[in-house]
Amino acid sequence: MSGASGLSAERKDALERWLAGQADARGVTVTDEGRLSGGAISLNLAVTLDIDGGPLAGRHACVLRTGAPSGVSASLGKAEEAAVLRAVFDAGVAVPEPLFVGDDPAILGAPFYVMRRVGGVAAGHRMVKSEAPRRDLARKLGRQLGLIHSVRPGRADLGFLPTPAPSPALQLVADCRAWMGERAATDPVLALGLRWLTLNAPPAGELVLCHRDFRTGNYMVDGERLTAIIDWEFAGWSDPMEDIGWFCAACWRFGRPDREAGGIADRADFYAGYEEVSGRRVDPTAVAYWEAAGILRWAAVAVQQGERHSSGAEPSLELALTGRMLPEIEMDLLRHLDAVAEAGGHA
Amino acid sequence: MINDDPDARDLVAIALRTFRETVLPAVPAEQRFAALMIASALGIAERELEAGTAKEPALAAAVGALLNEQGDLATLLPRLCASIDAGAFDAPDRQAALRPVLMEITRARLAVSNPKRLESGG
Repeated sequence: MSGASGLSAERKDALERWLAGQADARGVTVTDEGRLSGGAISLNLAVTLDIDGGPLAGRHACVLRTGAPSGVSASLGKAEEAAVLRAVFDAGVAVPEPLFVGDDPAILGAPFYVMRRVGGVAAGHRMVKSEAPRRDLARKLGRQLGLIHSVRPGRADLGFLPTPAPSPALQLVADCRAWMGERAATDPVLALGLRWLTLNAPPAGELVLCHRDFRTGNYMVDGERLTAIIDWEFAGWSDPMEDIGWFCAACWRFGRPDREAGGIADRADFYAGYEEVSGRRVDPTAVAYWEAAGILRWAAVAVQQGERHSSGAEPSLELALTGRMLPEIEMDLLRHLDAVAEAGGHA
Repeated sequence: MINDDPDARDLVAIALRTFRETVLPAVPAEQRFAALMIASALGIAERELEAGTAKEPALAAAVGALLNEQGDLATLLPRLCASIDAGAFDAPDRQAALRPVLMEITRARLAVSNPKRLESGG
């Protein structure tokens, strides 16, 4: 990728030649339609492919997704992300279909993939703007999560995803501690979070494919239609309650703390949709644990994002400001731990 | 070092005010996100310079009381982390003593980074 604007002429040529080979076509023309919001980790470019010949002949509105110059440790490479996307697409999850995966960095300078472009908006603050709670949307999202969790370990196409050990919870604690680095030894709220999650960790249970960033802001809606679950770069095997907790965590309600399911509705509708499709009961005590885990993991990611800026690796105002979000994330954690103690669920 | 006037806090404050009043309204939509981030960063910097270290002695005293030690915050916080790690605050009465102090430290940091979240309580 060449800067924020998109593809250089040279890279566009290389991409077109490569795509023609992949699509078994006489030729492919790529029209670059500019950058889409992609978050701090990935770059998304709107492209239209005109494919001349082969099984995919015709015009396709697509998104070209590439990794950023420096990633966070938790995120998958783009070829791996595309494999996850293919697996959940095949499981019936609402996601854009991945069409071409370029794992050779020689083509565009970094691995990438091309997926179909899906309509709709993802912006969290717009999602929560409605007079009445969006109960139907919450139920649909619960069903989608049930479908995602139908993908189970032991398949070759997702063999690159590590198995958490000794349990998903204790793996997360170890990961967070590593990502926080020195900060865990100087910030007592982070130290408390790590300690609490260690003492209250649920034992290892069944593993499912978790999205691990399933929340308002990471799904797209067109009117009342749920069009896509997006941003799969953190996916991995984990405890199914992890995704439920993250969706309901206080940090993703976008100013609607009263609507505990992602700022859009009550938990009941979200849980009901999930139970309907997954055949699994939602365990509120486990969900409360994973909400705390999610908040601490978000704190660890914020530390890393800030560090990407502060270290000089990738000077960026957005990354710098993410680093300064730590106090509000920690406030969410302290309030959540107090609420859990009051409810008598954990120590 | 000679402290010139206006000082850093004052310069950041007037830069932010000028940016908000005269630049931000004229910023095209494509640059608006970046412009809002600039305003946000200057706001944090202004509040950090304003707050200085005024709250540190009280916070250091509170942390010191938990540890039965004396010192400044920079010395005491790593010791508090090590104690938490080692399980010294696992017992319910120790947790009950720890939580309000952590809340105070976090409130002081939030007052700089995002005071709106402090007011809303949400």
